[in-house]
Amino acid sequence: MTDDKDVLRDVWFGRIPTCFTLYQDEITEREAEPYYLLLPRISYLTLVTDKVKKHFQKVMRQEEVNEIWFEYEGTPLKWHYPIGLLFDLHASNTALPWSITVHFKNFPEKDLLHCHSKDVIEAHFMACIKEADALKHKSQVINEMQKKDHKQLWMGLQNDKFEQFWAINRKLMEYPPEDSGFRYIPFRIYQATTERPFIQKLFRPIASGGELHTLGDLLKDVCPSAITSEDGEQKTQVMIHGIEPMLETPIQWLSEHMSYPDNFLHISIIPRPTD
Amino acid sequence: VSCSMSGEEDLFLEEKRFKQYCEEFIKHSQQIGDGWEWRTSKDLGDGYLSKTHFQVRNRNISPDLKEKNNDNIEQTLFTHVEESLDDSQVAGVCATEEVIRYEYHVLYSSSYQVPVLYFRACFLDGRPLTLDEIWKSVHACYQARLLEGPWDTITQQEHPLLGQPYFVLHPCRTNEFMSSVLTGSRKQNRHPNYIILWLSTVGPVVGLNLPLSYAKIASEQNTNADSV
Repeated sequence: MTDDKDVLRDVWFGRIPTCFTLYQDEITEREAEPYYLLLPRISYLTLVTDKVKKHFQKVMRQEEVNEIWFEYEGTPLKWHYPIGLLFDLHASNTALPWSITVHFKNFPEKDLLHCHSKDVIEAHFMACIKEADALKHKSQVINEMQKKDHKQLWMGLQNDKFEQFWAINRKLMEYPPEDSGFRYIPFRIYQATTERPFIQKLFRPIASGGELHTLGDLLKDVCPSAITSEDGEQKTQVMIHGIEPMLETPIQWLSEHMSYPDNFLHISIIPRPTD
Repeated sequence: VSCSMSGEEDLFLEEKRFKQYCEEFIKHSQQIGDGWEWRTSKDLGDGYLSKTHFQVRNRNISPDLKEKNNDNIEQTLFTHVEESLDDSQVAGVCATEEVIRYEYHVLYSSSYQVPVLYFRACFLDGRPLTLDEIWKSVHACYQARLLEGPWDTITQQEHPLLGQPYFVLHPCRTNEFMSSVLTGSRKQNRHPNYIILWLSTVGPVVGLNLPLSYAKIASEQNTNADSV
Protein backbone atom coordinates (compact mmCIF):
# COMPACT_ATOMS: atom_id res chain seq x y z
CA MET A 1 0.00 0.00 0.00
CA THR A 2 1.52 3.30 -1.05
CA ASP A 3 2.34 5.62 1.77
CA ASP A 4 1.02 9.14 1.39
CA LYS A 5 4.58 10.46 1.56
CA ASP A 6 5.45 8.45 -1.53
CA VAL A 7 2.91 10.53 -3.41
CA LEU A 8 4.84 13.67 -2.47
CA ARG A 9 8.02 12.18 -3.92
CA ASP A 10 6.31 10.96 -7.08
CA VAL A 11 4.90 14.41 -7.67
CA TRP A 12 8.25 16.12 -7.01
CA PHE A 13 10.32 13.85 -9.25
CA GLY A 14 7.96 13.68 -12.23
CA ARG A 15 9.76 14.40 -15.52
CA ILE A 16 8.76 15.08 -19.12
CA PRO A 17 11.15 14.15 -21.91
CA THR A 18 11.39 17.17 -24.15
CA CYS A 19 13.01 18.01 -27.48
CA PHE A 20 13.93 21.66 -28.02
CA THR A 21 14.27 22.86 -31.61
CA LEU A 22 15.39 26.30 -32.68
CA TYR A 23 12.82 28.25 -34.68
CA GLN A 24 13.74 28.05 -38.36
CA ASP A 25 13.71 31.83 -38.92
CA GLU A 26 16.32 32.47 -36.24
CA ILE A 27 19.60 33.47 -37.83
CA THR A 28 22.42 31.00 -37.16
CA GLU A 29 26.02 30.67 -38.24
CA ARG A 30 25.79 26.88 -38.32
CA GLU A 31 23.03 24.33 -38.29
CA ALA A 32 21.33 24.12 -34.89
CA GLU A 33 20.92 20.60 -33.53
CA PRO A 34 17.87 19.87 -31.38
CA TYR A 35 18.49 19.63 -27.63
CA TYR A 36 16.96 16.93 -25.46
CA LEU A 37 16.17 17.42 -21.79
CA LEU A 38 14.09 15.82 -19.04
CA LEU A 39 11.99 18.67 -17.63
CA PRO A 40 10.80 18.61 -14.01
CA ARG A 41 7.00 18.81 -13.95
CA ILE A 42 7.03 20.96 -10.84
CA SER A 43 9.43 23.63 -12.07
CA TYR A 44 9.29 26.53 -14.53
CA LEU A 45 10.64 26.68 -18.08
CA THR A 46 12.93 29.65 -17.57
CA LEU A 47 14.35 28.12 -14.39
CA VAL A 48 15.53 24.85 -15.97
CA THR A 49 16.55 25.77 -19.52
CA ASP A 50 19.92 27.50 -19.06
CA LYS A 51 21.55 24.60 -20.91
CA VAL A 52 19.06 24.94 -23.75
CA LYS A 53 19.87 28.63 -24.09
CA LYS A 54 23.62 28.00 -24.04
CA HIS A 55 23.29 25.24 -26.62
CA PHE A 56 21.57 27.45 -29.17
CA GLN A 57 23.58 30.55 -28.40
CA LYS A 58 26.66 28.64 -29.53
CA VAL A 59 25.46 28.72 -33.13
CA MET A 60 24.11 32.27 -33.08
CA ARG A 61 25.70 35.67 -33.17
CA GLN A 62 25.55 37.62 -29.92
CA GLU A 63 23.43 40.40 -31.43
CA GLU A 64 20.76 37.95 -32.58
CA VAL A 65 20.17 36.70 -29.04
CA ASN A 66 17.41 38.41 -27.09
CA GLU A 67 15.11 37.14 -24.36
CA ILE A 68 14.37 33.46 -24.90
CA TRP A 69 10.79 32.29 -25.23
CA PHE A 70 9.15 28.97 -25.96
CA GLU A 71 6.30 27.90 -28.15
CA TYR A 72 4.37 24.69 -28.77
CA GLU A 73 2.50 24.28 -32.07
CA GLY A 74 2.14 28.03 -32.45
CA THR A 75 1.12 28.72 -28.86
CA PRO A 76 3.56 30.78 -26.80
CA LEU A 77 4.23 28.86 -23.56
CA LYS A 78 3.69 30.83 -20.36
CA TRP A 79 6.86 30.32 -18.36
CA HIS A 80 5.07 31.34 -15.18
CA TYR A 81 2.88 28.21 -15.37
CA PRO A 82 4.52 25.03 -13.99
CA ILE A 83 5.93 22.81 -16.74
CA GLY A 84 3.66 19.88 -15.83
CA LEU A 85 0.60 22.10 -16.19
CA LEU A 86 1.72 23.32 -19.62
CA PHE A 87 2.27 19.75 -20.79
CA ASP A 88 -1.03 18.41 -19.42
CA LEU A 89 -2.94 21.32 -20.89
CA HIS A 90 -1.39 21.39 -24.37
CA ALA A 91 0.27 18.07 -25.13
CA SER A 92 -0.71 15.33 -22.74
CA ASN A 93 -2.23 13.00 -25.30
CA THR A 94 0.50 13.37 -27.89
CA ALA A 95 3.58 11.26 -28.49
CA LEU A 96 6.70 11.84 -26.42
CA PRO A 97 9.12 13.58 -26.49
CA TRP A 98 7.35 16.90 -26.13
CA SER A 99 8.49 19.11 -29.02
CA ILE A 100 9.08 22.70 -27.99
CA THR A 101 10.28 25.45 -30.34
CA VAL A 102 12.83 27.95 -29.05
CA HIS A 103 12.73 31.66 -30.05
CA PHE A 104 15.06 34.58 -29.45
CA LYS A 105 13.27 37.16 -31.57
CA ASN A 106 9.85 38.85 -31.73
CA PHE A 107 8.97 38.36 -28.09
CA PRO A 108 5.14 38.15 -27.92
CA GLU A 109 4.49 41.13 -25.61
CA LYS A 110 0.76 40.55 -25.56
CA ASP A 111 0.99 36.93 -24.47
CA LEU A 112 4.00 36.38 -22.26
CA LEU A 113 5.39 37.93 -19.12
CA HIS A 114 9.00 38.99 -19.33
CA CYS A 115 11.56 36.98 -17.42
CA HIS A 116 14.82 38.88 -17.43
CA SER A 117 16.31 37.15 -14.39
CA LYS A 118 15.82 34.37 -11.85
CA ASP A 119 14.60 37.06 -9.42
CA VAL A 120 11.44 37.39 -11.50
CA ILE A 121 10.76 33.66 -11.18
CA GLU A 122 11.42 33.75 -7.45
CA ALA A 123 9.09 36.73 -6.98
CA HIS A 124 6.35 34.98 -8.92
CA PHE A 125 6.83 31.70 -7.04
CA MET A 126 6.75 33.38 -3.65
CA ALA A 127 3.70 35.45 -4.61
CA CYS A 128 1.84 32.22 -5.42
CA ILE A 129 2.86 30.64 -2.12
CA LYS A 130 1.69 33.72 -0.25
CA GLU A 131 -1.62 33.76 -2.03
CA ALA A 132 -2.12 30.05 -1.31
CA ASP A 133 -1.49 30.67 2.39
CA ALA A 134 -3.89 33.61 2.39
CA LEU A 135 -6.52 31.09 1.33
CA LYS A 136 -5.45 28.25 3.62
CA HIS A 137 -4.48 30.11 6.79
CA LYS A 138 -5.34 33.81 6.33
CA SER A 139 -1.59 34.23 5.71
CA GLN A 140 -0.79 33.39 9.35
CA VAL A 141 1.66 30.57 8.64
CA ILE A 142 3.61 32.30 5.85
CA ASN A 143 3.81 35.56 7.81
CA GLU A 144 5.14 33.79 10.91
CA MET A 145 8.01 32.32 8.91
CA GLN A 146 11.35 34.05 8.74
CA LYS A 147 12.84 35.32 5.53
CA LYS A 148 15.31 32.44 5.57
CA ASP A 149 12.43 29.96 5.54
CA HIS A 150 10.97 31.67 2.47
CA LYS A 151 14.41 31.48 0.88
CA GLN A 152 14.62 27.79 1.68
CA LEU A 153 11.41 27.10 -0.23
CA TRP A 154 12.81 28.83 -3.28
CA MET A 155 16.25 27.23 -3.01
CA GLY A 156 14.66 23.81 -2.60
CA LEU A 157 12.76 24.29 -5.83
CA GLN A 158 15.66 25.83 -7.71
CA ASN A 159 18.12 23.09 -6.70
CA ASP A 160 15.66 20.22 -6.87
CA LYS A 161 16.05 19.42 -3.18
CA PHE A 162 12.92 17.58 -1.99
CA GLU A 163 13.89 17.34 1.68
CA GLN A 164 15.05 20.95 1.89
CA PHE A 165 11.78 22.15 0.36
CA TRP A 166 9.44 19.98 2.43
CA ALA A 167 11.20 20.79 5.72
CA ILE A 168 9.48 24.17 5.41
CA ASN A 169 6.54 23.36 3.18
CA ARG A 170 5.13 20.84 5.66
CA LYS A 171 4.21 23.78 7.90
CA LEU A 172 2.11 25.22 5.08
CA MET A 173 0.27 21.88 4.91
CA GLU A 174 -0.76 21.82 8.56
CA TYR A 175 -4.00 23.07 10.08
CA PRO A 176 -5.30 23.68 13.64
CA PRO A 177 -6.33 20.43 15.40
CA GLU A 178 -9.85 21.75 15.92
CA ASP A 179 -10.32 22.12 12.15
CA SER A 180 -10.51 19.26 9.67
CA GLY A 181 -8.66 21.09 6.93
CA PHE A 182 -7.68 24.39 5.38
CA ARG A 183 -9.91 27.45 5.34
CA TYR A 184 -10.14 27.46 1.55
CA ILE A 185 -8.41 25.29 -1.04
CA PRO A 186 -5.88 26.99 -3.34
CA PHE A 187 -6.72 25.73 -6.82
CA ARG A 188 -6.91 26.87 -10.43
CA ILE A 189 -8.75 25.10 -13.24
CA TYR A 190 -7.46 25.53 -16.78
CA GLN A 191 -9.09 24.91 -20.12
CA ALA A 192 -7.19 25.70 -23.31
CA THR A 193 -10.37 26.65 -25.13
CA THR A 194 -11.46 29.62 -23.01
CA GLU A 195 -10.36 33.28 -23.14
CA ARG A 196 -10.29 33.31 -19.36
CA PRO A 197 -6.93 31.82 -18.42
CA PHE A 198 -8.20 29.93 -15.36
CA ILE A 199 -11.03 29.62 -12.87
CA GLN A 200 -10.27 30.34 -9.25
CA LYS A 201 -12.92 30.67 -6.54
CA LEU A 202 -13.32 30.37 -2.79
CA PHE A 203 -14.02 26.72 -1.94
CA ARG A 204 -14.10 25.11 1.48
CA PRO A 205 -12.71 21.58 1.87
CA ILE A 206 -15.22 20.70 4.60
CA ALA A 207 -18.98 20.87 4.22
CA SER A 208 -21.12 22.47 6.94
CA GLY A 209 -22.03 19.01 8.25
CA GLY A 210 -18.36 18.06 8.57
CA GLU A 211 -18.09 15.86 5.48
CA LEU A 212 -15.04 16.15 3.28
CA HIS A 213 -15.69 17.78 -0.09
CA THR A 214 -14.39 15.82 -3.06
CA LEU A 215 -12.78 16.73 -6.36
CA GLY A 216 -16.16 16.05 -7.94
CA ASP A 217 -17.83 18.49 -5.53
CA LEU A 218 -15.31 21.17 -6.50
CA LEU A 219 -15.87 20.68 -10.21
CA LYS A 220 -19.64 20.60 -9.83
CA ASP A 221 -19.44 23.90 -8.00
CA VAL A 222 -17.05 25.91 -10.17
CA CYS A 223 -16.85 24.13 -13.51
CA PRO A 224 -19.86 21.85 -13.99
CA SER A 225 -19.26 21.47 -17.73
CA ALA A 226 -16.15 19.46 -16.89
CA ILE A 227 -18.09 16.56 -15.45
CA THR A 228 -21.59 16.66 -16.83
CA SER A 229 -21.74 14.23 -19.66
CA GLU A 230 -23.56 14.91 -22.90
CA ASP A 231 -25.16 11.79 -24.35
CA GLY A 232 -23.91 9.91 -21.31
CA GLU A 233 -20.36 10.25 -22.66
CA GLN A 234 -17.56 11.90 -20.77
CA LYS A 235 -16.02 14.26 -23.30
CA THR A 236 -13.29 15.66 -21.06
CA GLN A 237 -10.51 14.50 -18.78
CA VAL A 238 -9.69 16.09 -15.44
CA MET A 239 -5.92 15.93 -15.10
CA ILE A 240 -3.45 16.74 -12.34
CA HIS A 241 0.25 15.85 -12.72
CA GLY A 242 -0.51 13.72 -15.74
CA ILE A 243 -3.09 11.51 -14.04
CA GLU A 244 -6.86 11.52 -13.64
CA PRO A 245 -7.61 11.36 -9.90
CA MET A 246 -10.88 9.73 -8.91
CA LEU A 247 -13.61 12.33 -8.51
CA GLU A 248 -14.35 10.86 -5.08
CA THR A 249 -10.92 11.93 -3.77
CA PRO A 250 -11.23 14.39 -0.87
CA ILE A 251 -10.06 17.80 -2.07
CA GLN A 252 -8.28 18.38 1.26
CA TRP A 253 -6.10 15.30 0.57
CA LEU A 254 -5.42 16.47 -2.97
CA SER A 255 -4.41 19.88 -1.72
CA GLU A 256 -1.96 18.39 0.81
CA HIS A 257 -0.44 15.81 -1.52
CA MET A 258 -0.80 16.89 -5.12
CA SER A 259 -0.30 20.61 -5.02
CA TYR A 260 2.62 22.03 -6.92
CA PRO A 261 5.46 23.58 -4.90
CA ASP A 262 3.60 26.91 -5.17
CA ASN A 263 0.94 25.21 -2.99
CA PHE A 264 -1.73 25.44 -5.67
CA LEU A 265 -3.64 22.55 -7.23
CA HIS A 266 -3.35 23.24 -10.96
CA ILE A 267 -6.08 21.24 -12.67
CA SER A 268 -6.39 20.80 -16.44
CA ILE A 269 -9.64 20.07 -18.24
CA ILE A 270 -8.73 18.61 -21.61
CA PRO A 271 -10.58 16.84 -24.41
CA ARG A 272 -10.72 13.09 -23.92
CA PRO A 273 -8.88 11.27 -26.72
CA THR A 274 -11.30 9.48 -28.98
CA ASP A 275 -9.29 6.34 -29.80
CA VAL B 1 -22.28 48.23 4.26
CA SER B 2 -20.87 46.21 7.15
CA CYS B 3 -23.02 46.11 10.25
CA SER B 4 -21.87 47.05 13.68
CA MET B 5 -20.52 43.61 14.60
CA SER B 6 -16.81 43.75 15.29
CA GLY B 7 -14.24 41.36 13.93
CA GLU B 8 -11.56 41.41 11.28
CA GLU B 9 -14.04 40.13 8.70
CA ASP B 10 -15.46 43.65 8.78
CA LEU B 11 -12.42 45.20 7.23
CA PHE B 12 -12.32 42.76 4.34
CA LEU B 13 -14.31 43.54 1.27
CA GLU B 14 -16.88 40.97 0.24
CA GLU B 15 -17.38 40.45 -3.46
CA LYS B 16 -21.01 41.60 -3.32
CA ARG B 17 -19.97 44.81 -1.59
CA PHE B 18 -17.21 45.28 -4.15
CA LYS B 19 -19.80 45.22 -6.94
CA GLN B 20 -22.10 47.63 -5.09
CA TYR B 21 -19.32 50.14 -4.47
CA CYS B 22 -18.26 49.84 -8.11
CA GLU B 23 -21.83 50.57 -9.18
CA GLU B 24 -21.85 53.77 -7.11
CA PHE B 25 -18.44 54.64 -8.50
CA ILE B 26 -19.53 54.20 -12.12
CA LYS B 27 -22.64 56.27 -11.56
CA HIS B 28 -20.57 59.19 -10.34
CA SER B 29 -17.98 58.73 -13.06
CA GLN B 30 -20.72 58.99 -15.65
CA GLN B 31 -22.05 62.16 -14.03
CA ILE B 32 -18.70 63.91 -14.25
CA GLY B 33 -17.46 62.28 -17.45
CA ASP B 34 -14.48 60.61 -15.80
CA GLY B 35 -14.42 57.75 -18.29
CA TRP B 36 -14.77 54.67 -16.07
CA GLU B 37 -16.88 51.76 -17.24
CA TRP B 38 -17.88 48.35 -15.90
CA ARG B 39 -16.89 45.30 -17.91
CA THR B 40 -18.08 41.73 -17.38
CA SER B 41 -16.43 38.50 -18.45
CA LYS B 42 -18.67 36.48 -20.74
CA ASP B 43 -18.71 33.14 -18.99
CA LEU B 44 -18.80 33.58 -15.22
CA GLY B 45 -20.19 37.05 -14.76
CA ASP B 46 -17.12 38.43 -13.00
CA GLY B 47 -16.72 42.11 -13.56
CA TYR B 48 -14.19 44.88 -13.24
CA LEU B 49 -13.80 48.63 -13.55
CA SER B 50 -11.94 49.89 -16.59
CA LYS B 51 -10.55 53.23 -17.72
CA THR B 52 -8.23 54.31 -20.52
CA HIS B 53 -6.51 57.66 -20.72
CA PHE B 54 -3.57 59.32 -22.38
CA GLN B 55 -0.72 61.18 -20.78
CA VAL B 56 2.04 63.15 -22.35
CA ARG B 57 5.59 62.73 -21.20
CA ASN B 58 8.33 65.23 -21.95
CA ARG B 59 11.80 63.82 -21.69
CA ASN B 60 13.55 67.14 -21.07
CA ILE B 61 11.89 68.23 -17.88
CA SER B 62 12.44 66.32 -14.65
CA PRO B 63 9.38 64.75 -13.01
CA ASP B 64 7.58 67.32 -10.94
CA LEU B 65 4.16 67.88 -9.51
CA LYS B 66 1.82 70.40 -10.99
CA GLU B 67 -1.69 70.76 -9.63
CA LYS B 68 -4.51 72.59 -11.19
CA ASN B 69 -6.89 74.33 -8.87
CA ASN B 70 -10.15 73.17 -10.26
CA ASP B 71 -12.44 70.25 -9.65
CA ASN B 72 -10.67 68.12 -12.17
CA ILE B 73 -7.22 67.71 -10.68
CA GLU B 74 -4.92 65.79 -12.97
CA GLN B 75 -1.43 65.20 -11.77
CA THR B 76 0.77 64.18 -14.61
CA LEU B 77 3.75 62.05 -13.82
CA PHE B 78 5.87 64.18 -16.06
CA THR B 79 5.46 67.90 -16.35
CA HIS B 80 4.77 70.29 -19.17
CA VAL B 81 1.31 69.22 -20.27
CA GLU B 82 -1.33 69.49 -17.59
CA GLU B 83 -4.31 67.96 -19.27
CA SER B 84 -4.89 64.46 -20.45
CA LEU B 85 -5.56 64.27 -24.14
CA ASP B 86 -8.25 62.47 -26.02
CA ASP B 87 -7.63 60.56 -29.23
CA SER B 88 -8.12 63.49 -31.58
CA GLN B 89 -5.59 65.70 -29.86
CA VAL B 90 -2.97 63.05 -29.51
CA ALA B 91 -1.71 63.07 -33.07
CA GLY B 92 -0.81 66.74 -32.87
CA VAL B 93 1.78 66.34 -30.13
CA CYS B 94 5.29 67.08 -31.23
CA ALA B 95 8.19 64.67 -31.39
CA THR B 96 9.99 65.67 -28.20
CA GLU B 97 6.97 64.62 -26.23
CA GLU B 98 5.78 61.07 -25.97
CA VAL B 99 2.18 60.07 -25.56
CA ILE B 100 1.50 57.11 -23.36
CA ARG B 101 -1.78 55.25 -23.35
CA TYR B 102 -2.69 53.98 -19.88
CA GLU B 103 -5.29 51.36 -19.25
CA TYR B 104 -6.44 50.76 -15.65
CA HIS B 105 -8.54 47.86 -14.39
CA VAL B 106 -9.89 47.33 -10.89
CA LEU B 107 -10.52 43.66 -10.19
CA TYR B 108 -11.60 41.81 -7.10
CA SER B 109 -9.24 39.31 -5.46
CA SER B 110 -11.14 36.58 -3.70
CA SER B 111 -7.89 35.28 -2.19
CA TYR B 112 -7.11 38.51 -0.35
CA GLN B 113 -10.67 39.87 -0.36
CA VAL B 114 -9.53 43.25 -1.54
CA PRO B 115 -9.64 45.15 -4.84
CA VAL B 116 -6.52 44.98 -7.01
CA LEU B 117 -5.26 47.55 -9.51
CA TYR B 118 -4.05 46.19 -12.84
CA PHE B 119 -2.66 48.52 -15.49
CA ARG B 120 -0.72 48.62 -18.66
CA ALA B 121 0.91 51.39 -20.61
CA CYS B 122 2.14 51.68 -24.15
CA PHE B 123 3.32 54.30 -26.59
CA LEU B 124 1.14 55.19 -29.54
CA ASP B 125 3.06 52.87 -31.83
CA GLY B 126 2.04 49.99 -29.61
CA ARG B 127 5.34 49.50 -27.85
CA PRO B 128 4.59 48.63 -24.24
CA LEU B 129 6.46 50.31 -21.41
CA THR B 130 8.91 48.04 -19.65
CA LEU B 131 8.76 47.33 -15.93
CA ASP B 132 11.81 49.55 -15.59
CA GLU B 133 10.09 52.45 -17.33
CA ILE B 134 7.03 51.92 -15.15
CA TRP B 135 9.14 52.00 -11.97
CA LYS B 136 10.88 55.17 -13.11
CA SER B 137 7.55 56.81 -13.78
CA VAL B 138 6.24 56.14 -10.30
CA HIS B 139 5.30 59.30 -8.44
CA ALA B 140 8.37 60.81 -6.73
CA CYS B 141 7.08 60.42 -3.19
CA TYR B 142 6.55 56.66 -3.60
CA GLN B 143 9.97 56.03 -5.08
CA ALA B 144 11.57 55.37 -1.69
CA ARG B 145 9.08 52.62 -0.84
CA LEU B 146 9.55 51.06 -4.25
CA LEU B 147 13.33 51.06 -3.98
CA GLU B 148 13.11 49.12 -0.72
CA GLY B 149 11.57 46.15 -2.44
CA PRO B 150 10.55 46.59 -6.02
CA TRP B 151 9.41 43.00 -6.25
CA ASP B 152 6.93 43.63 -3.49
CA THR B 153 5.06 46.47 -5.03
CA ILE B 154 4.68 46.59 -8.81
CA THR B 155 5.28 43.54 -10.93
CA GLN B 156 4.11 42.15 -14.23
CA GLN B 157 1.41 39.51 -13.93
CA GLU B 158 -1.14 37.70 -16.02
CA HIS B 159 -4.54 39.41 -15.99
CA PRO B 160 -6.82 36.78 -14.38
CA LEU B 161 -9.72 37.41 -16.75
CA LEU B 162 -8.01 38.42 -19.99
CA GLY B 163 -4.88 36.28 -19.77
CA GLN B 164 -2.57 39.07 -20.97
CA PRO B 165 0.41 40.65 -19.22
CA TYR B 166 -0.47 43.64 -17.03
CA PHE B 167 1.35 45.43 -14.27
CA VAL B 168 -0.09 44.97 -10.82
CA LEU B 169 0.09 46.82 -7.54
CA HIS B 170 0.44 43.99 -5.02
CA PRO B 171 -2.64 43.44 -2.91
CA CYS B 172 -1.17 41.74 0.14
CA ARG B 173 -0.63 44.98 2.03
CA THR B 174 -3.94 46.58 1.06
CA ASN B 175 -5.70 45.49 4.21
CA GLU B 176 -3.00 47.12 6.35
CA PHE B 177 -3.55 50.65 5.19
CA MET B 178 -7.27 50.31 4.51
CA SER B 179 -8.03 49.12 8.04
CA SER B 180 -6.83 52.34 9.64
CA VAL B 181 -8.85 54.42 7.21
CA LEU B 182 -11.97 52.33 7.66
CA THR B 183 -11.73 52.12 11.46
CA GLY B 184 -11.55 55.89 11.63
CA SER B 185 -14.69 56.23 9.56
CA ARG B 186 -16.56 53.66 11.61
CA LYS B 187 -15.84 55.62 14.78
CA GLN B 188 -17.57 58.57 13.21
CA ASN B 189 -20.40 56.29 12.18
CA ARG B 190 -19.72 56.90 8.50
CA HIS B 191 -19.75 54.12 5.94
CA PRO B 192 -17.42 55.05 3.13
CA ASN B 193 -17.26 53.70 -0.37
CA TYR B 194 -14.28 51.33 -0.06
CA ILE B 195 -13.39 51.59 -3.73
CA ILE B 196 -13.14 55.37 -3.72
CA LEU B 197 -11.03 55.40 -0.54
CA TRP B 198 -8.78 52.67 -1.82
CA LEU B 199 -8.35 53.99 -5.37
CA SER B 200 -7.64 57.51 -4.19
CA THR B 201 -4.81 56.05 -2.07
CA VAL B 202 -3.17 53.62 -4.49
CA GLY B 203 -4.02 55.22 -7.83
CA PRO B 204 -1.64 58.20 -7.57
CA VAL B 205 1.30 55.79 -7.20
CA VAL B 206 0.83 54.93 -10.86
CA GLY B 207 -0.49 58.16 -12.24
CA LEU B 208 -4.18 57.56 -11.72
CA ASN B 209 -6.01 60.36 -9.97
CA LEU B 210 -9.58 60.78 -8.86
CA PRO B 211 -11.23 64.15 -9.21
CA LEU B 212 -12.18 65.64 -5.86
CA SER B 213 -15.89 65.30 -6.51
CA TYR B 214 -15.67 61.59 -5.72
CA ALA B 215 -15.13 62.57 -2.12
CA LYS B 216 -18.70 63.82 -2.04
CA ILE B 217 -20.10 60.35 -2.53
CA ALA B 218 -17.35 58.47 -0.69
CA SER B 219 -19.05 58.97 2.63
CA GLU B 220 -22.66 58.85 1.63
CA GLN B 221 -24.58 56.30 3.60
CA ASN B 222 -26.27 54.17 1.02
CA THR B 223 -29.38 53.11 2.87
CA ASN B 224 -30.36 50.72 0.08
CA ALA B 225 -27.16 48.76 0.57
CA ASP B 226 -27.86 48.25 4.25
CA SER B 227 -31.08 46.44 3.55
CA VAL B 228 -29.47 44.03 1.07
